[in-house]
Formats: sequence, C-alpha cells, structure tokens
Amino acid sequence: MAKLTILEFPDPRLRRRATDVESVDDTLRQLIDDMFETMYDAPGIGLAATQVDVHRRLLVADVSSEKDDPWALINPVILERDGVEVTEEGCLSVPGFYEEVERSGHIQVRFLDREGAEVEAEFTGLLAVCVQHEIDHLDGKLFVDYLSEAKRQRIRRRLVKDQRQRQHDAAAAL
Amino acid sequence: MAITKAGVRQRAEAAIAIDAVVTEGRSLDWALARADEKLDPADRSMVRMLCFGCLRYHWQLRAQLRMLLERPLKARDSVIESLLIVGFFQLSDTRVPDHAAVSTTVDAARLLRRPKYAGLINAVLRNYMRRNISESEAQDDEARFNHPAWLIEHLRKDWPDHWQQIISANNDRAPMWLRVNGQHMTAAAYQQAHAIDGQLLPGADQALRLEKPAAVDELPGFELGHLSVQDAAAQMAAPWLLAGHPDGVVRVLDACAAPGGKTCHLLELLGADADLTAIDNDKKRLTSIQENLARLGMDATVLAADASKPGEWWNGVGFDRILLDAPCSATGVIRRHPDIKLLRRQEDIHALARRQRQMLAALWALLNPGGRLLYVTCSVLVEENEAVVGDFLSTHTDAREDRVLHDYNIRDLMYDKTPGFQVLPGTQGMDGFYFASLEKVSG
Repeated sequence: MAKLTILEFPDPRLRRRATDVESVDDTLRQLIDDMFETMYDAPGIGLAATQVDVHRRLLVADVSSEKDDPWALINPVILERDGVEVTEEGCLSVPGFYEEVERSGHIQVRFLDREGAEVEAEFTGLLAVCVQHEIDHLDGKLFVDYLSEAKRQRIRRRLVKDQRQRQHDAAAAL
Repeated sequence: MAITKAGVRQRAEAAIAIDAVVTEGRSLDWALARADEKLDPADRSMVRMLCFGCLRYHWQLRAQLRMLLERPLKARDSVIESLLIVGFFQLSDTRVPDHAAVSTTVDAARLLRRPKYAGLINAVLRNYMRRNISESEAQDDEARFNHPAWLIEHLRKDWPDHWQQIISANNDRAPMWLRVNGQHMTAAAYQQAHAIDGQLLPGADQALRLEKPAAVDELPGFELGHLSVQDAAAQMAAPWLLAGHPDGVVRVLDACAAPGGKTCHLLELLGADADLTAIDNDKKRLTSIQENLARLGMDATVLAADASKPGEWWNGVGFDRILLDAPCSATGVIRRHPDIKLLRRQEDIHALARRQRQMLAALWALLNPGGRLLYVTCSVLVEENEAVVGDFLSTHTDAREDRVLHDYNIRDLMYDKTPGFQVLPGTQGMDGFYFASLEKVSG
C-alpha cells in the first residue's frame, strides 16, 4: 500500500481526458487500493485516477461515515439521470474551497468492478453526486468549472499563492 | 470529492474570526458578520460560543499555548494558533466530547488550507489533555485575570475594593434583558401573559431578564414592537432623563443615539406628541435607529451630526432634556464584547476622555435654563466618568449636579460617586454604566 500524491488545481494534468482501462489486473487492483488509502487519508469521499496523475477511467468512492461502503468503478458510463441535488462540494485537488454545485440526484451507471465483471447500479443522493464529480475528473473537468468566472479565478489565485509558499518553504528547509 | 462536516466548519470559522480580532484588530461583531455569510444558520451559535469563550479566556489560553508550543508559529499561520486555542477551550470549558473536539479541530486545519498542521494540532491537543494543562497555575496576572495588564492596573487604581469583582463579572456570560414597551404593558404583565421564564428588577418596571437567551424574533410581540433587547442598566437612562418632566411637549435631544435603543425608550415614555431629535455621527448606524423606530411604530428627527460640533447642525432652538450617551471605552460591557479587552489601548482612554469633555461642553450650550442633561457612559473608568463631569461642574457655574432619581429602588444598585452614580457590571445581572444628571441653573 502506498499513499499517492494528489494533483492540485490549476495543474494542467487535471485537464487531460482519461482513456478506458484495457485490462483489470493485479496492477490495477493495487492502484485501486492505493487510491482508497489516499482518499481515506485526505480525508475525502471520492477520488478519480486523473487526480493521482493516472489517466485511465477509474474512480473510487465511499460516502459512508464508517468507511464501510467502498465503491471502485472502472470505465463508468452514466446511462440515465434525473432529479436535482444541490451539494456543497469540495475537491481534494482544490483543497479548502467548498461551493454549491447542482447535479442529478439519481443516476444509473454501467461499469466494471475490481474483478472485471460488468455491473449496472443506481446511485442516489451524495453517492450519485460524488460519482458524477469523479466522472467529471476523468473528462478533465473540475467542480470549479461550474462556478462563476470571478469565483474560479479567485480560487485559482489563492491556490497558486499557497503552492508557491509551499515550494518556498520546502526550498528553505533544504 | 470532499465534503465538510458542520463541526469542522464551525471550528475553522471560529479560528478565522478570533484571528481577525487578535491579529488584525477587527471587532468581534465584524468578524462574526463575515463568518455568518459562510455559515448555515444552525452553525452560528456554536461559532459564537467558541469565539466568546476564546476571547474571554484569551490570556490564560495563550499562556497554555506557550507551554505546549516550542516556538510561536509563523505570522502568516497565526490562524492555526487561534485554532489551537479553539481546541483548548473546547477541552477545558465545554461539553464537547474530547474525541470530537480533537477530530473536528484537526480537520479544520485542512479547511483552513494548512493540512501540514494537522499532525501538530493533534499532538498539541493530546498533550493538553495528557498533561492536564487546563488545571495549570496561571503564571502572571494577565493569565490569572484574563485582562491586559494596563486594564488590570487601571481598574485596581479606580476601584481598589471592587476591581476583582469587576474583572470576574467581565469574564462572565451576560444574560439577555428585554425592555417591554411601556405603551403596551409592564414587564411583569408581559412575563405573566406569555409565561416567560425570567426575573424582574425592582426599579426598572419595563425590564425582564430571561433565564435562557432566546432568538428575539421568536419572542411574542417582538415584530409588533412590544419589546426590545436592552440591558437593564441602559434602561435607566430614559426615565432618569425625563424624571419629573411636565406634561405636554418637551424638546429632547438624544446625542450619540445609534443604534436607537434609548431613543425608542424615550419615545415610549414621551408618547406621540414627542419632539425628539436623535443624532449620531455615524451615517451607517443611523439606519439602525430608523429600523428600530419603524419596528416600534415611532417617529423622531434623525440627523447625521457630530455632538461636539452643534454649529454644523443645530437650528438654535434649545432643548429641555439632553441625553449624552457618550462614546467610551465600553469597559462596563466587556462581558458582552470580550474583544474590547484586546482592541482597547491605554492611550485610547485619554483620547475618549478628551472627546467626552468636548461633547459635554458643546451640548451644554443647547440646554434651556432649568433643563437637564444626563451624562451616560458604559465605562467603569474614573477618567471617563466622574473626572469628566467633576471638571465640567467646577468650570461651569450654571451647572449643578441633580441627585434626584426617577425611582429610589435603583439606589441600592449603584455606587455613589462624586459626582454621579456607577452601576458595576454583574450587579443584578446588569451591564456597567455611569450616570450623572446635570441641571442648568441661572448662572
């Protein structure tokens, strides 16, 4: 098990579109385990492979408070969606910022599970929101893209400033 | 994706607000208004509780922080020091379970975009519990009394027999007082009509102290203008000013009137024919007077005006009664505004006293012969109170102190000063106020 590094907005690698996973094997399962560890540690409720600089269509999620409802979705496709759910979303790639985003409240999704079996499942509420948020990542999209331009630019400036500060601190520590 | 638990957001917002007071010198009211914009209404009372507690016990909690941190954090991370204080306060003074206090406070570091401090916060809070730091002996007077050294010294000098009582009242929580609109009923009748759990105060017929604070707009009759929120000591001002006033029109000036609590009280007592002028220097705060008047269905002449420069606004017609609720250090209401202990500086007191003297002298010229001026502050400091009025009396031959009270039941609630009267904070649950009633005699 290993904790992975999460890319932070406005890193251009977050804008790459992920390609389908071709084979579900032990290497992929190791990546899934590492992604869960990274997500739980952050702490977050969902993580897309794009966020750890792996550009394959894979996401993990667990919205339970007991960390006992893990989902790993490989090559997920949304088949149907309806309803409206507004959630104050945050993102491990946009640390510290939380804004309301409107998404579908109910989705039907087809994906491969960690054994490579095809599954169709329905998600509602927070889990539905989370899966949509993560699929956006696989398409190179972030929740800040739903906000006003002014808000997005403000978040961008603040994060860039933080990142510079951290680099400066790291350099000073050497 | 990430979401924030309400508890984590509350701790983060409390730390931001406290940091704004401690390092930027903002008022707590300002900081809380900013926090409210980002908070669900349900989370606001917790944030208030944390902010008030951390500022009340600021010096003690900071001393504890110094015991646990090898060196202060970088200036730009001062918000993390405030967050640690929020953690200490929860562990020492609240019923928040220890594990919840630690986990929400640690997670708040991430919300404050300083995740690298999560480990440090966790370690410091665990040390706080393990070493029983909350029970440690205070090392100096500031930590022992939770006041700045200059203010402790000042209080000790002004109130040699009462300074510890004042300090202890300043660090208490303030009760919520209502003023029932006398045009509708007395406080006793209101309490009975609505079965309110509260205490009456002999000498203040309209005052009712609630046993438990309540959301004001949920109290029966608030929207109808039947009641206002106002401390019982502040409720003494209007009846005192008007005591013994003849029936019919009396011209009244309410100087430094915002937010209009005493203005409305005067109007409740004067009735519909009142000729009342309310002034305040702060244009923005005039709105609060207008809102209060509108809610109570009353009318007054409201002007943006400087009480120390009547030449700019006075029309030359004298007043029979003048209420001068002078800008002051607010050292009598520290329990309602614990940030005062951090924001006020010793040199402010001299500047305030100069301004109080200017205002008193300037407004005196506007008072008709036989008229009364009531000088009021919410300060407990001699320099702003009896020193101002005493010097005024000795330099103005047409002024004399009038010791008449509107209700002698209040006599025992106050300390006799020369001149004037002082209510100390905590007396019957009241705020600290100073009153001096001055009469204009033919000179």
